[in-house]
Amino acid sequence: MYLLKVNSICKYYSRTLLFKDVSFELAGGDALAVTGWNGSGKSTLMRIIAGLIRPSSGTVSMYYQDEVVPTDSRRRFVGMVAPALSLYDELTAIENMVFFCKVRGVESREDTCRDMLRLVGLDDHAHKLSGRYSSGMKQRLKLAQALLHHPPLLLLDEPGTNLDSKGMQIVWDIIEKQKQWGMTVIASNEKREVDYADRIINLSE
Amino acid sequence: MKRGRSITQTESSTYLNEALAIWVRDLRSEFRTRYAVNAIIMFAVTTLVAVSFSIGSFRIADDEKSFLYAVLLWIILVFSALSGLSRSFVKEQEAGTIDTLKLSARPQAVFLGKLFFNLTLLASLELIIVPVFVLLMRYPIAHPVPFVANVVIAGLGLGAGTTIVAAMIAQASTRGALFSALSFPLLLPLMIMAIKGCEQASVRLGPVGWAEVRMAFAYLVIMVIVSLFLFPLIWEE
Repeated sequence: MYLLKVNSICKYYSRTLLFKDVSFELAGGDALAVTGWNGSGKSTLMRIIAGLIRPSSGTVSMYYQDEVVPTDSRRRFVGMVAPALSLYDELTAIENMVFFCKVRGVESREDTCRDMLRLVGLDDHAHKLSGRYSSGMKQRLKLAQALLHHPPLLLLDEPGTNLDSKGMQIVWDIIEKQKQWGMTVIASNEKREVDYADRIINLSE
Repeated sequence: MKRGRSITQTESSTYLNEALAIWVRDLRSEFRTRYAVNAIIMFAVTTLVAVSFSIGSFRIADDEKSFLYAVLLWIILVFSALSGLSRSFVKEQEAGTIDTLKLSARPQAVFLGKLFFNLTLLASLELIIVPVFVLLMRYPIAHPVPFVANVVIAGLGLGAGTTIVAAMIAQASTRGALFSALSFPLLLPLMIMAIKGCEQASVRLGPVGWAEVRMAFAYLVIMVIVSLFLFPLIWEE
């Protein structure tokens, strides 16, 4: 049903080459790991796939039932967790969830959001300001927010950051569920995280 | 069945619903942090008190009051607005929420939501400052309806102008200076119209300022339409 085509993308910052000729295709059920040294461009590649920044050359296309999804719409088919993506500290967890439901056009029933918080183990802290969360709890909240609209493409940039063993188990469960129908890209150097992928791209090579 | 659910639900969403969600979120955040309100109100109250104590109503000749009071009123309103309205986008950038918002909401909805929020702040500012200014300075207003219309419509134009400039400067490193520098030429025609409109509304004879209200309304419409086209380009990389 869904297809992601990344075709020969290169990224330069000023005149410095970050990576070049990165190509791959993902279909529903596929999981790809992106590895590489610090500064090799893993997070940049994730941001390019999400449509947040443009590649210097090459194309990223997403297809739904053989029709191309426009770039500005592609972002809304993406669920992304990354260290640089924050949620609103001055809102409670449930307020954050309801807000992102509304701006994404997902039915914003509070019990749906609460179910998602339960999935990541935060239902007991739903009415606490997210600014008062620990870094691990914030990471769990980011995971819940990324999954709210059941995205066909899940981009996980260092998904295990700040998570304890229970939190890591949640990440595995999420990836397993996503692999049943959707596409997953994991940017990490952690062996445990990379092992969940079917294919690996190393940006340092 | 959750597969593909996002597609149908995304299409059912409207720009207005998304904009309202952003507006409510910004209001809630502002209510809890008082990030922009404090800056705007403090600036407005300080300048208002300084003006009223140093000039007052008695040092100005009666025939000069209508013009000078209009100038002072709009200087206070515009510079108070400039001190706080840039925060709407800058705060998203500083908090690291701007990319999360980019991934979630459509650009036009973000612009409208931020515009509604800035207009709410400006309306609150005008509701406090204009009556206090009129009372403290004993501002003689001969035609209250066109005067209020001038303040409201020019206030809406001021909100629209500052919102698009705030979006443009959010990613720059020298935001403060850039915001004032970019806003000034954009807001100057509106300020001139608003000052003239308020002046005419306070004079007993001659035109009462409806022509300036119409021009300010045209400025507002043009600014909103141009911004809706321009904003997606600014919002992208």
